[in-house]
Amino acid sequence: MEKKISEKTLKKSFLNWFFWNGCSQQAESMLGMAFGQSMAPVIEELYEAKEEKSEALKRHITLYNSESQVGSIVNGIVCGLEEANANEACTPELISSVKVALIGPTSAIGDSLWVATIIPILLTIALSISQASESISWLGSLLYMIVYPVGTLLLSWYLFKLGYKSGLEGMQTFMADGTLNKLTDAMTVLGLIVVGALTASFVNMPMPIQIVRDIYDATTNTVIPDQVIFNADGIINSIFPKLLPLSLTLAVYYLYSKKKWSPLKLMGLILALAAVLTAVGYGTGFYA
Amino acid sequence: MSTLQIILVSLFIYLGSIGSIIGNTLGWYTLGRPLVASFVVGIILGDVNTAMIVGIPLQIMYMGNVTPGGAVAWDLSYATYIGTAAAIVFGKGMGATEVIGLAVVFAGIGGLVGQIMWNISYAACLPLNRVANKYAEAGETGKMFIPNLVLGQLIGFAVRFIPAVLLLTSMTAASQQADFVSIIPAWLTTGLSIFGGMMAALGMGIILSFLLKEKYHIVIYLAGFILVTYFNLNTMAVTVVALIAAILYYYSVSRKVEVE
Repeated sequence: MEKKISEKTLKKSFLNWFFWNGCSQQAESMLGMAFGQSMAPVIEELYEAKEEKSEALKRHITLYNSESQVGSIVNGIVCGLEEANANEACTPELISSVKVALIGPTSAIGDSLWVATIIPILLTIALSISQASESISWLGSLLYMIVYPVGTLLLSWYLFKLGYKSGLEGMQTFMADGTLNKLTDAMTVLGLIVVGALTASFVNMPMPIQIVRDIYDATTNTVIPDQVIFNADGIINSIFPKLLPLSLTLAVYYLYSKKKWSPLKLMGLILALAAVLTAVGYGTGFYA
Repeated sequence: MSTLQIILVSLFIYLGSIGSIIGNTLGWYTLGRPLVASFVVGIILGDVNTAMIVGIPLQIMYMGNVTPGGAVAWDLSYATYIGTAAAIVFGKGMGATEVIGLAVVFAGIGGLVGQIMWNISYAACLPLNRVANKYAEAGETGKMFIPNLVLGQLIGFAVRFIPAVLLLTSMTAASQQADFVSIIPAWLTTGLSIFGGMMAALGMGIILSFLLKEKYHIVIYLAGFILVTYFNLNTMAVTVVALIAAILYYYSVSRKVEVE
């Protein structure tokens, strides 16, 4: 009789992965032990002999890594392959090599699409809601707390089932289909505009230089004391509002992405700049 | 902070850290995000208002902190929970900009502690591979959760929860010793608020490195910028404009593909 993984076992395998994929992360097998836990119920159902179970478990606690949310498609694919293997339509070597081969692409898609694009864009939208009204600024937090986990759970489960049902072909259609790229591009447009707005609203950088002099007023023949005759911040902002915050943001972008500075190093630079500006501000009497 | 509040905040620091028992989707990527973390701290400490005042800028600062490839550059969970708690504990009577500066500094301290704890957990979980091997060798499918879930999380909980309790307890003790508004000199609060405002550029700059894929994309970014500076729209209004632009873009690209 042909062996088949029951719906219940598939769900159990998925949930083991969804909740506990990061529980024992370390340098030797990365997410290997978590992958083993995810496959355990499937192996229990598919194989009878202790030796078979042992062999199957051993090939799934080896080194594995992925962006685990999008990477749940790999768990689905491997479930399908284990099922085929139990029916003698696949080999253990193939299972192991497919698993290793999928580490790269699923990490890349997961990190660039989900983690680095979807999460920040969702957060930016939530932020703009929070910022719109001070009295209900928690609304954005609440929305993100609901939308992100629920959306990700649905996507991960969909990908897991897609992997199980259509195997590697499913993975290829998912990757080759132009819809994914178009959607990412459209999300990028959305993200860029909102990030521009957030830069203008939240980044602040003063140029605290001013010159104060007593001015002699010839018409009334009096001396007006402490008049600001030069204010660097005011001049810059009248030419292009918030030019300094914009320049600082683009400088951080340049140093981070082109010069490969670490966030910590950038933080140090910003701290140093802030210290200099504070000193200059007090020196020129901008801050009293 | 009362003992109960310290325990609750520490518990959420653990839940929001990477690889906690509730999973990265609910933990690291939800409870660990500053926008959510500050809300949670606000509820626990009974001051959602102050919490959100610092939570929004902290989220912007750490927007680019997304751990690509699983490399933790900075422990966000530790950073925001500690930063927000500090703002509420020490910031009584301070203005918004000073409170933000205070939160930024404490978030830095918290992030550093969290980073050390992550490295400890990363190393301490190594021997668990031997346990997993033993069960796999014996074919014990029913015991595979022990090395991953049980032992992994005993380590995870210990290195996150305990240091958090210690840190928050000493913060509470320090806050009772003195009135911080009167101790901190004016130049320091000015400097802190300048630093806080400039730190927002860090998050925005890093997020741009993910979004700017073509050179011309910079124009789209500038469009969002000037909608605020020249047109005085608030960010919510810009988000609506951005949504319309994205939908138009999506369908115009679809058409182009069909024509080809």
